[in-house]
Formats: sequence, C-alpha cells, structure tokens
Amino acid sequence: MSLLFQDRLTCGLVIVTTILMVLNLYIIFVITPIVPEQHWAQKIFYLHVPIAWTGFLSYFIVMLAGILFLLKKDTFWDRVGLAAAEIGTLFVILVLITGPIWATPIWGKPWVWEPRLTTTLILFLIYVGYFMLRKFGGHPERVARYAAVLGILAFIDVPLIFYSVKFWAPQFQLHPQVEMVQQPKDILKPFLFSLTTFTFLYILMLRFRVRVLNFSHQIKSNNV
Amino acid sequence: MFTTLLKKELFVELRNKEVILSMLAFGMSVLLIYSFSLSGDPKINHEIAPGLFWSLVVLSSTLGLHRLFGQEKDFDAFASLIAAPIDRGTLYLAKWVSGIMFLSVTELLIILPFFLFLGLSLPVSFLPGIGIVLLGNLGIVAVGVIVSGLAMRAKMSAVLLPVLLFPLITPLLIASVKATTGWYQILPFSHWQFWVMIMATYVVIFGLAGYIFFDHITEE
Repeated sequence: MSLLFQDRLTCGLVIVTTILMVLNLYIIFVITPIVPEQHWAQKIFYLHVPIAWTGFLSYFIVMLAGILFLLKKDTFWDRVGLAAAEIGTLFVILVLITGPIWATPIWGKPWVWEPRLTTTLILFLIYVGYFMLRKFGGHPERVARYAAVLGILAFIDVPLIFYSVKFWAPQFQLHPQVEMVQQPKDILKPFLFSLTTFTFLYILMLRFRVRVLNFSHQIKSNNV
Repeated sequence: MFTTLLKKELFVELRNKEVILSMLAFGMSVLLIYSFSLSGDPKINHEIAPGLFWSLVVLSSTLGLHRLFGQEKDFDAFASLIAAPIDRGTLYLAKWVSGIMFLSVTELLIILPFFLFLGLSLPVSFLPGIGIVLLGNLGIVAVGVIVSGLAMRAKMSAVLLPVLLFPLITPLLIASVKATTGWYQILPFSHWQFWVMIMATYVVIFGLAGYIFFDHITEE
C-alpha cells in the first residue's frame, strides 16, 4: 500500500484515476443513451475501444523502449519494455474477451476474421512468443536485447497484418466503420472521456509495474 | 566477405546436407498426411492447393531454419565466427541467401510429388509462379534467420522458433497464398498484384530489419 502513496505525483495519479474511473463507469451505465439497434451490447463499446487503444499504445511503448534500450544500453528501458509488454498483453486479452461479447448479439457469432480483431489476436500470439523468449532466452542481458528486437519487429508487423487480413477477407468488414468524429455528441463525449480515463489508468499501471521491476532489479543487484 | 561466408554456408551444407534433408524428409511426411487426409477430389485439391503448398513450405522451413545456426551451436563455433572482423549485417545476408537456396532446392524436390500425390493439373505458365515462390522464400527466410538467431541460444530453441515465426509471417503467408491462387487459377495479374506488393513490402522491411538488428542478435 505504501507503494501507492510514495510520492506526490503517484498519490495524485491514484486519486485522479480512481475518480475518473468511478465517473466513467457511472456515465457508461447510467448516462449514455441506448442505441436502438444494439441495446445494452453497445455499452461495451465504451470499454472495448479504450481497452484496445491502451493495448496498442502499450505495444508502441514496448517498441519505443526497445529502440531506447538498443541505443543507450540502459537496463531501465528493458524494464519499461517488459512492464509495457505485460500490461499491453493484459489489455489485449481483455480486447479478445470483450470483442466476442459484443459480437455475439450484433454479428450473431462470437468470432469472425475481422481485420482489427484478427490483428489483435496475431499480436497477442507474437507476445506469447515474446514472454517465452524472456523466460527461456538464457542470459538476462542477452534476453533484454532479444526482447527489444522482437518488440520492434512485432510493432512493425502490425500494419502489414492489418492490411493483409483486411483484403484477405473483405466480406468480414463488419466492424463499425464510422469515424469517431461523425458519432453523435452524446456518444462521442463519453467515449473520449473513457479513452482519457483508460490512458490515465495505463500510465498509473505502467508507473507501478516499472517501480516494482526496479525494486526487483535492485534486490538482485545487491544479492550479486 | 559476403561470398566467403556464403561459400562457407554452402560448403557445410554440401558436406552433411543437414538442412535440406531435414526439410525434405519432413515435407514429404506432411505431404503424405495431406494426401491421406484430403477427400481425393482433384477439384477440391485444385482450389486449396496454394494454401496446402505454403503451409507445407512453412512447416518444413522451421526445421531448416532451426539448423541454420545448428553447426555453429553444436561445435560452439559461433563465438569464433562473430569474433572475426566481419560486418554482422553481411553475416545476416549470407545466412539469408543460403537459407533461400536451401529452401528453394527443397521446394524443387517436393513440387513434383506435391502435384502427383494430390492429383493436381500442371499450371499453364511457370515463370510467375517461380517469382511468387522466390518472393515468399525471401520473406520466410528474412524473418526466419532473425528468429533462428533469437532462439539459437535459448533453452527451448526448437519450440521457440515456430512460436515466434508463425505469427510474424502471417501477413506474408496470406499474401503468398492469395498471389499463388491468382496465378494458379489463371486470374489476370491486376487481381493479385496487390498481394505481390504486400510480399515485396514485407521482404524489404524484414530484410532491412534483419540487416540492422542482426548485430544486436549476435552480440555475445
């Protein structure tokens, strides 16, 4: 618990994120309108999309941390990469769970080879390999380098996966294709609020995880 | 230096034929399973042939890719290799080109039984097909050498290689199957040129990535 309130910034971040999350859930379940053709299933959109955004943002951070690690050889960036990979994978798993929950009543089946969902699944599988590499890769210094390279390659692969799946199965372009700016204001505003809330949550989670990994690194260094 | 390294790769392979033999034996076994598992209807086989061919190539390639660094690993020679004043990018290029050669030879040996066992009709023109297969090989081996390098010193390298390779090559595999289908079913080039472009983009991106990152992968 002392970890939560170690400095003013973290303490402030915890308080702000908690308030935002409570407000966010209230807005989603009480205030937002029910879209006639989707009923309650549409509510998941306010969670599903921000979770997906956070997952992809996290994998972008993995790539960035990988580049910085390879350039600076500072193990801090390796720990940032690992933390971002763990949190990103957690969010991607949530995307893969919330997606089919929404799809079942709307598309009539839980899974279709839709580009965004498929890209997320493939990215998830790449990260399963990423964690296996971290676990079985051998010497920690070498593993850090390998993980950095794989994190970069995984993110480079994203647009290629997306476009190949998109044109592989054009009949599955069922995902809502409407641009977010074209959504009515009573949907757009809560959506943007949810997006901000999840971004705050992500920053907080990343901060904590990096701190825990830093402690773990210090303990290991002291023991050696 | 590139030629010397390539000669070394080819010489080692010519001496023990480890990479090609393992890919060929495995490929033939998979082909046998395909032949027994499918309905035997040539019309259905004709439709799914491109997908079967590329899955056969990808599955067989994992064995060959695993052995790309096998000799160096077994005889603990990799440290000596990277201790030599050689640009690591050149080392990657030599592994890449030799890997493509081994995979292409395997495909050449397996293609006739593939058509024969599945009762497929021969394609009208061969040249575009050869181009597609070469482009696919370039992509598979470009990523394969990187992944093989990453997995080389890991505890479970044989397991890690396919786990890392398959999701990474998904876009290439989709594009290869689509382009091969377009060519084999004699569709106009405009129908499948997009897939060739995806394949070429993939090869350029991952070829460059391998050349740049191989230094970090091989560092002791």
